[in-house]
Amino acid sequence: MSDLIRASLDHCVKCTICESFCPVSQVTPLFPGPKYAGPQAERYRGIGVSPDSSIDYCSGCGICTTVCPQDVKIAEINSRARAKLWEERGIPLRNQLIARPSVLGRLGNPVAPLANWALHNRAVRSLVQSVIGVHRDAPMPRFAGRTFQKRSRTHAGAADAPAVVYFHGCGTNFYEPILGEMVVAVLEHNGFRVIIPRQDCCGLPLQSNGNFPAARSYVRRLVANLAPYARQGLPIVANSTSCGLMLKREAHEILGMDDEDLKAVSGSMFDLMEFLLGLHDRGELRTDFGSLPLTVPYHAPCQQRGHGIGKPALDLLALVPDLDTIELEVDCCGIAGTYGLKKEKYEISMAVGKRLFDDIRATGSDIAACDSETCRWQIAHGADVSAVHPVELLHRAYGLDTNGSRRAHAGAAGRRERSGS
Amino acid sequence: MSYDTLVVGAGLAGLTTALRLTEQGQKVVIVARGVGATHLAPATVDVLGYLGEERVDSPASALTTLLADVPGHPYGRVSRQQIGASLEWFCRRLERLGYAGGLDHNGLFPTAIGVARPSALAPRTMLGGDLRDGGRFLFVGLRGFKDFHPSLLADNLAHARLPAPVMARALELEPPAERRGDLSGRLLARRFDSGELTDWLVRALQGRVEAEERVGLPPVLGLRRADETLADLENRLERHVFEVPTLPPSIPGMRLYDTLTAALRKAGARLVINAAVVGAQAHDGQIESVQVASAATTMSYRTHSVVLASGGFASGGLTLDSRGAARETVFDLPVAGVPEDGATRFVAGYFDAQPLSRAGVAVDDLLRPTDRDGCPVYRNLHAAGAILAGAVPWKEKSGTGISVATGYAAADAILAPSAVGVSGSIG
Amino acid sequence: MSSLEADVLVIGGGSTGAGVARDAALRGFTTILVERRDLVDGTTGRFHGLLHSGGRYAVKDPSAAVECIAENRILRRVAADCLEDTGGLFVATPWDDPDYGDLFVKGCEATGVPAEEIPVAEALRREPRLNAEIRRAFVVPDAALDPWKLVWGCARSAEQHGARILPYHRVLDIEVVDQRVLGALVRDEHSGEEFRIHSKVVVNAAGAWAGQIATFAGCVVNVRAGMGVMIAMNHRIVNSAVNRLKFPADGDILLPLRTACVIGTTDVFVPDPDDTEIGRDAVDLLLDEGEKLVPGFREARALHAWAGVRPLFEDTRDVAETRDVTRSHALLDHMAREGVAGFVTITGGKTTTFRLMAEVAVDAVCRQLGVERRCTTAEEPLPGSESHTLYGLDTRLAAREPVPQSEEIICECELITRSRLEQTIKRRATTNLDDIRRLLRLAMGPCQGGFCIYRATGILHHGDRVDHTEANRALVSFLEERWKGLHPILHGDQLRQARLDDWIFQGILDVEHLPA
Repeated sequence: MSDLIRASLDHCVKCTICESFCPVSQVTPLFPGPKYAGPQAERYRGIGVSPDSSIDYCSGCGICTTVCPQDVKIAEINSRARAKLWEERGIPLRNQLIARPSVLGRLGNPVAPLANWALHNRAVRSLVQSVIGVHRDAPMPRFAGRTFQKRSRTHAGAADAPAVVYFHGCGTNFYEPILGEMVVAVLEHNGFRVIIPRQDCCGLPLQSNGNFPAARSYVRRLVANLAPYARQGLPIVANSTSCGLMLKREAHEILGMDDEDLKAVSGSMFDLMEFLLGLHDRGELRTDFGSLPLTVPYHAPCQQRGHGIGKPALDLLALVPDLDTIELEVDCCGIAGTYGLKKEKYEISMAVGKRLFDDIRATGSDIAACDSETCRWQIAHGADVSAVHPVELLHRAYGLDTNGSRRAHAGAAGRRERSGS
Repeated sequence: MSYDTLVVGAGLAGLTTALRLTEQGQKVVIVARGVGATHLAPATVDVLGYLGEERVDSPASALTTLLADVPGHPYGRVSRQQIGASLEWFCRRLERLGYAGGLDHNGLFPTAIGVARPSALAPRTMLGGDLRDGGRFLFVGLRGFKDFHPSLLADNLAHARLPAPVMARALELEPPAERRGDLSGRLLARRFDSGELTDWLVRALQGRVEAEERVGLPPVLGLRRADETLADLENRLERHVFEVPTLPPSIPGMRLYDTLTAALRKAGARLVINAAVVGAQAHDGQIESVQVASAATTMSYRTHSVVLASGGFASGGLTLDSRGAARETVFDLPVAGVPEDGATRFVAGYFDAQPLSRAGVAVDDLLRPTDRDGCPVYRNLHAAGAILAGAVPWKEKSGTGISVATGYAAADAILAPSAVGVSGSIG
Repeated sequence: MSSLEADVLVIGGGSTGAGVARDAALRGFTTILVERRDLVDGTTGRFHGLLHSGGRYAVKDPSAAVECIAENRILRRVAADCLEDTGGLFVATPWDDPDYGDLFVKGCEATGVPAEEIPVAEALRREPRLNAEIRRAFVVPDAALDPWKLVWGCARSAEQHGARILPYHRVLDIEVVDQRVLGALVRDEHSGEEFRIHSKVVVNAAGAWAGQIATFAGCVVNVRAGMGVMIAMNHRIVNSAVNRLKFPADGDILLPLRTACVIGTTDVFVPDPDDTEIGRDAVDLLLDEGEKLVPGFREARALHAWAGVRPLFEDTRDVAETRDVTRSHALLDHMAREGVAGFVTITGGKTTTFRLMAEVAVDAVCRQLGVERRCTTAEEPLPGSESHTLYGLDTRLAAREPVPQSEEIICECELITRSRLEQTIKRRATTNLDDIRRLLRLAMGPCQGGFCIYRATGILHHGDRVDHTEANRALVSFLEERWKGLHPILHGDQLRQARLDDWIFQGILDVEHLPA
């Protein structure tokens, strides 16, 4: 473990603030909480094999680090301890599979109708649960067929417009390309030319499943593609909060990477909403929003706290006439990337998200907004609503949805599919 | 990004000043490294509990003596009227939590070890435990919740120095269906909120409470619905029921934080957690922008005023290095009350007056940090709360009172600087 | 006045005394041990915890080195549960005499201390926090020794063989009649009761206080008290015992001890072994020496400071610096020295060689009694060490799996469960939380009792044997005692912790106003 991360345990004064926020330890006795598993247990580790397998129940949501008043890198300590545990035991096939969404995406998209049928077929899912260990009820997105990369290959923006680089991530690429198109449309509406470089996975799921070496090579490949633009001074926007955070911070802090390319990219990385709000603060955001008379509960994903930018989506949605955004106060939806897919963790994940789902249902709205794709899939699954990225609401308010407003209403990911109920 | 006021710190002082400014129409952002000490403190507002060895019955009367004894005290930098107004404002804004009390008479509430502790304001969930009228008490512990020891509490309380006689006894109950043996307050609060524990508690206590006994519980009655739960318990048990504050994490403190931040968000303020102030740009004695570090970059916030509410040594607002040098960690302001180089910072008696206790940032009558000559370091920088020099809040029982009063007064100073600036004469 | 009888009366409850009591009991002598305070509250409880390989003495004091490596091997066999096999390193920093390394090699060869030179890169791989500028590195079989486990293990073993172990019993006088020691007058410090212990031989194992005991018997034992300060750091900055490759001096050892690591030590003569205030200079010196070994050490979190006094026996000479007085032990048979029968003193030495010292002392007891009984402490494992498995750092953490909070954890820093605490309170029959601390490591973690002491007080009271005033006193005196080791090193993170603890005890609980 890097000295700085481990040494940060010295800042812990056992105040228990992190424990009072940890969503997982509240719903299961299998995880003792971030203070226990992080700075406290770390004083007992480092000799011999990992003594505490309960660390594996940490979901990696990262809330603990963000609320710690002492700058203890709790989530990072946990993440590394977990990786060491899996390094010793050998990472199971299931984790290796689900940690590679771009590989799965490339396998599934060419046969999207079949793959989608299979993944939402109860019998197949039961088989998958017993053989591989992905829970049969865990929310699965649908392969889009034609990836965002393919769709946008022929797209070109205005040549003389200021450029912005789009890091769309695996979610948009394989499952939600229409969201990607909306992002581009919103950026172009605001006068930008959107560059969509070749790109692959950021490696976050590999990191959270403990395969640090593989995660590092993914990061290197990705930042090699993005760094040239960063060096030209171009901003890079990401619509997935977790992937953006990976490049902003986690690749450096958790994987210990110090590459020049990564540094360049980190310094230029913006969450999409952060970027748009920044435009607005400078008076450069177009505010020609039409009326959108909806009540939309909004959930800020856990990782957004890690960005340290507040909740920019709320400020942006507040600009849309007649749009009533309800800020949901529950911290975590439970999915935590790939955590909630695992058969031994699914129930925990759903218990974590339960209050969020209840709160969403209590608003009576059939649509909810959230910046992270895995969270959207979990919310759609748990609360039985459409879950959209907040930019979709802006897109609609701008009146940019010429391809049938019905589709936008249903959300780029489509209505929640019941996997046989 | 441009704001009217940027507040550093999301503890009680920071939230107070931010809310006051926001409701007066300012555009406010709070920047904090993590959540503040509200999550650790009992959530009462303690103006002044002890004057030396003397327990204070009336802060209103005692403040004069305090300021005569300790002229550099933070209460000397605000007016008596402001202290009173801040408490009234606090009660109004936190109506949902039912705070009651005032400057004239301290309530007297049991601590988790059975000492009678004075507080000026207490939330509804604690009011039932006011000891001033004496009476009979039953303290109930919950097996698995290790931060509440009712028999020690009861025994000590029965021997406490109290204005009226108190009889106290203890009971321990075992909460149902717990899958673990070590229960956090947060877990129990969740179970009360969902309604699971209320019925059980009523059934467990009915028939075991005696006539006229008030029931004291650990502070876990819920985060979202504590008031309803309390009312339910009181109705069904037909007696006062109250919470006794204990070690962190403080569920009542979290309620306070949630209520204040919800009010802030509703009024349009911005709250940025997990962000640290790393610098400020000033021109001609005036801060123009504040640099805030987020995940990968530093963002610059332009602001008209700044309030530093970063807390004392306990919060990292002040640090002491291994050579005994003290530093204010956000703006590198001069720190007052530190013994000179080489002199002792701590003496050997734990309960004795420690030389470093009153260290902090010295301020003028507009609560602006001053340099050694008494001039404000920046014209538009104010400070509030535990960062201020001059108090020993854990001994005086004055921490939250200072936070609320100075947070309130800092907002006053920003809103109408010409109207304030009266030297804090009290009495 | 009531009285007790025994073959052997041992005075002193540190490693030497406990070792003597065990050895004597195993050899079939009826034995009583008295200690004026709690066991392991003297020098043994206040040293750095190093089980020497002998490397430290290989050049300076070869006979000590030979003893150390022999005892090191023995204790690994018989006291395994008290030891953690941290291994040791001797490293040469830029501040150390470059010629010493060769002396070290020769000295280790001559004394039989296994020392293997490793490349600097390898040393840095093992200990990433070490100063990257180190020049040479050697591996030696140092280990970390938990003195509480060791002494209480000996005490328990002695009790199993019929001995009586009596902490909080102060010797008021030694009874000498016709040049023969008949026993001692002791006082039970808890009850105030005074009584006599009649014995055939008294073994004075009172360490730095041996001189005071000897005077009761009209004998002279010139023991100088060499005070040494140590600082525990909040976590294991190093995982092996790191020694400076130089002639022994101050602050040249940094070693892990359970969950913390300890930098030590200093050496100042003090006239009164009970008067050991920790000065600023000692703290600064230790932090500076630590900084040479580990860059960033000075501002790392220092947890607690304490002072122990070495017993340095000096027969005739007068020396300026106590360090040069022999660190080997000395057995004084007062029959031979002063013509007083039934009285022996075993003094000097170090904890690493405690077993040998005890053997030597009980051999002297045998001679005085005219019997021959063989010592078995080199073969017989201590209770808890029967499996010969050395203690592991992660033991307490692993023990809480798979459901870490299956029961209340009272001291979270040191992972002490409620049942363990309750058992210990009951077994010790004590109302002193410091006694519990010495047995369980209660309040020895980062929060230094901030969270666990209220809980422990409540549990102490709950047992019904202790009324509220005793419970209150236990808490308050614990806080006062704890502060002595905190205030000398309060800066940075630990100051922040201490302030939070002030808020808890004074602000939230208001312990200052507990009823007396």
